[in-house]
Amino acid sequence: MGKPTDLVQGTLDLLILRTIALEPMHGWGIAQRIQFVSKNALQVRQGALYPALHRLEQQGWIRAEWGDSDNHRRAKFYSLTRAGRKYLEKEQANWERLSSAIGLVLDAAQS
Amino acid sequence: MRWLDRISLRLRSLLHRRSADAELDSELDFHLQREIAARVSAGMPPAEARQAALREFGGVEELKEECRDTRQTNYIHDFAQDVRYALRMIRKSPAFSSVIILTLALGIGANTAIFSMVDSLLLRPLPARDPNQLVVLAFRQGQGPLLTQFSAADLRDIRAQASGAFSDMLGHMLAFDGVSLYGKADRAVSEYVTGNFFSLLGMRPYAGRFFLPSEGKILGADPITVLSYGYWKSRFASDPEIIGKRILVNAHPCTVVGIAPREFRGLYPAPVAQLYFPFGMLGTFEAGWPKDLMTNRILQNLYILGRLRPGVSLATAQAELNVVARRLSEEYPETNKGMTLSLYAERFARPDPSTAGILIRSAALFLGLVGLVLLLACANIANLLLVRATGRAREMAVRAALGAARNRLVRQLLTESILLALFGGIAGLFLGMLASDGVGSIDLHAPIPVQLVSGFDWRIFVYTFAAALFTGVFIGLIPALRASRTSISATLHESGRAIAGGKNRVRTGLVILQVAGSLTLLVIAGLFTRSLGAVQHTSLGFDPHNVVDFTMDPSEIGYNETQGLAFYKSLLDRVRALPGIQSASLNSSIPMSNYLNNDYLKISDYPVPPGQGLPLVGYAVVSPQFFETMHIPILRGRSFTEADAKGASYVAVVSQVFAARYWPNQNPIGKRFAKVSGITNPVYEVVGVAKDCHFNDLTSTIDPYFYLPLGQNYALSSLEVLQVRSTAPPDLVICEAQDVARSLAPNLPVFDIHTMMESLDTLQGFLLFRLAAGLAAALGLLGLTLAIVGVYGVISYSVSQRTHEIGIRMALGAQRAEVLQMILRQGFVIVAAGLALGCLSAFAAARLISNMLIGVSAADPATYSAVTLILALVALAACYVPARRAMRVDPMVALRYE
Repeated sequence: MGKPTDLVQGTLDLLILRTIALEPMHGWGIAQRIQFVSKNALQVRQGALYPALHRLEQQGWIRAEWGDSDNHRRAKFYSLTRAGRKYLEKEQANWERLSSAIGLVLDAAQS
Repeated sequence: MRWLDRISLRLRSLLHRRSADAELDSELDFHLQREIAARVSAGMPPAEARQAALREFGGVEELKEECRDTRQTNYIHDFAQDVRYALRMIRKSPAFSSVIILTLALGIGANTAIFSMVDSLLLRPLPARDPNQLVVLAFRQGQGPLLTQFSAADLRDIRAQASGAFSDMLGHMLAFDGVSLYGKADRAVSEYVTGNFFSLLGMRPYAGRFFLPSEGKILGADPITVLSYGYWKSRFASDPEIIGKRILVNAHPCTVVGIAPREFRGLYPAPVAQLYFPFGMLGTFEAGWPKDLMTNRILQNLYILGRLRPGVSLATAQAELNVVARRLSEEYPETNKGMTLSLYAERFARPDPSTAGILIRSAALFLGLVGLVLLLACANIANLLLVRATGRAREMAVRAALGAARNRLVRQLLTESILLALFGGIAGLFLGMLASDGVGSIDLHAPIPVQLVSGFDWRIFVYTFAAALFTGVFIGLIPALRASRTSISATLHESGRAIAGGKNRVRTGLVILQVAGSLTLLVIAGLFTRSLGAVQHTSLGFDPHNVVDFTMDPSEIGYNETQGLAFYKSLLDRVRALPGIQSASLNSSIPMSNYLNNDYLKISDYPVPPGQGLPLVGYAVVSPQFFETMHIPILRGRSFTEADAKGASYVAVVSQVFAARYWPNQNPIGKRFAKVSGITNPVYEVVGVAKDCHFNDLTSTIDPYFYLPLGQNYALSSLEVLQVRSTAPPDLVICEAQDVARSLAPNLPVFDIHTMMESLDTLQGFLLFRLAAGLAAALGLLGLTLAIVGVYGVISYSVSQRTHEIGIRMALGAQRAEVLQMILRQGFVIVAAGLALGCLSAFAAARLISNMLIGVSAADPATYSAVTLILALVALAACYVPARRAMRVDPMVALRYE
């Protein structure tokens, strides 16, 4: 049972949080959205999504509600909690700092 | 808010587990349906789309488990499941379970019993406010022994001068007094206390009032008493109108003002005080105390208990006491020269600071021994569980194959063993209560009521619970780890029998430890038994056989000196006239009791060495014929006669050691000495030297001692022990002598009626050795039984595992005798290894207790070889039974088996 590494796990969490920041979405929708927005560059293994969602819910970052989906089946919609929004902002800032730092290092190595 | 969400989530997944699971199902199902629908609308045929979607999604069940794992409440579910399962397993094999629970109950029960004794003697704090602030004071005079009884004047000065560290200090002393109500006299244990006694302890009276701090300071001013709850209940039948009633204390009137709270049994851990008097009443109620009781620094009889101010450390208080001690020894060089003060936390100074070490050491020893018994019981059960684990290897393998994680299997097996242990613990608690009731009712032959065990408290429950928990983990861990490690495929493929072989190593190791442990217990028991034998045959210096003791004190019914002496004279005359009586005499103290007289002496021709106080020497006030009755030889000079009475010159007989220490190489006859703390302190002239005797205890070296004639010294001790040496049976002597006493003084209480051998059975005498030998022997037998069961179990298990092999061997021509030999050899190796290990550990344990042994060394070869031999024989007998079974194996049956 290969657990995702910390970086991947953290990244997946960030992607999920960012995706549902706009509107409540169900799991399948989240997977599609990540794939679509990243122009198919990021393939989320569909199964891995659900343990991540449940974990985030247990941690209180997101909340789940049952609602009607577009094809009139009941689906579980996830939305950000207030704490989750703050957490997202912090993590996003962290991520940006990290990626720009990596970018700097890579640029310096080039010149 | 976040934590609220989280809690409601946890609660939901805990309470609505099923609906949470259903939701998970439909959530995943929704995803799959959408995925399939998306692929179908992209043109894939439905069946193919479904397969592709499932492939992409991954293992659904595995995912579900992963999702459930995020809930963080799983361990509660798992635990509940494990407990249910364990209960089912326990019910399924009731015989197996009850053997385990019973074995554990014995082991834990023995621990509970010993611990409850240690608890009530050492651990339980006094039922006082902030008991941690209470300290006991002691002092030394120069290089002298550690003393704990202070003069009233010293207490007053120390209390006044050490008020920086101490918020208050009280003094108390134990005594015996005759108490009578409506004409019926009875002897009671009383405490004479300073007026602040109860207020310092911070207690509320059960009824009435306590003493005021102002009471007890003036001689004879406060004829009042506070009863202990137990005494009020037993002696006064819980009389609700007792407050304000008048009782007689040694024939002096005294008013009951209050009753102490129920849980307060006095300041001593064992003797139970029955009533309390203000200290100032001592000289009134009891004869023989000088008028300057409050100011005389030689009269040292008060134990001091102090209360430290909040936050004051022992070191700070000690520093302040050092200053006080220096000041006192400068101010009163006559009495306090070279005085040093020390203090001890009350709990570590039981029964008093100088002997607390013995109590703590014995407590540690017996907790250790009884812990060893529990370990042996654990080893036995671990063995049983290992056998069962082998039987359950298949079950475990199947579970592992079905996906149970290894730590989950371990957890389940541990839950089972801990549950068994907890059941054992509950049963053990009940057994322990019964046992400690038994211990509590042991007759200590002490002249005062002594309580070894005083009820249960939370410490005992915690201890028992901890013991059970430890036991559960100990007995379960090895089988659990073993069972969970089994290779799945090997177990599922092979038949159950094939996995015997090397698995027996752990079990063999456990049995070796058991044999070693029980050898250790038996050696300790043997050493104590030998010590008991040695002390009982020690030359005491006097002959305790065929002597009956009766204690009485005519002042308890108000007799004055003349009446008392007349009473004693006619008592002796009439008792001596009884048939079979060889001699009868009086002695002020029973040897080995806690009630011995002593005093500081000024000795002529003996200069006190610099830095030392006056020597403190024990003595007895005796009647003529005393030395004859006790068979104590007079080595020089003469013994006492009827002529040594009031008016004649004061005389004394000293012991050999007395003469040798204070007048070395001189003729002691005609030398003089004087006591210092009597009302009058006459100079005694030595008229005889008696052979040394063990009067205080059996262990220590014999100290100087002297004897004074009763006729001249009635004031020193009106309490006398009538000692009658007779050829008649003791019961008859007791009957007849009591009749004589009753006809002379009908109201006089006569108590502590024992044969002299019985009365030597006190804490200072044989009792500790007898208790230790008995207790160690009981534990040793328990350990022996457990070890035998262990040896038998492991050998017979191995025989049953090897039935097939034995069958082959016999089919190939092995003789029955050879089979017998083979099995016996296997047993012998185990037992021999256990015995060798046991000798080493027994020697280590015996070294630790070597200063509790008398007349036998820690490495006593006789004890070791006898115990080893007995254990070896019994263990080999235990091997012989399964070995015979192996010998009888029918090769045809064995080979067809399976």
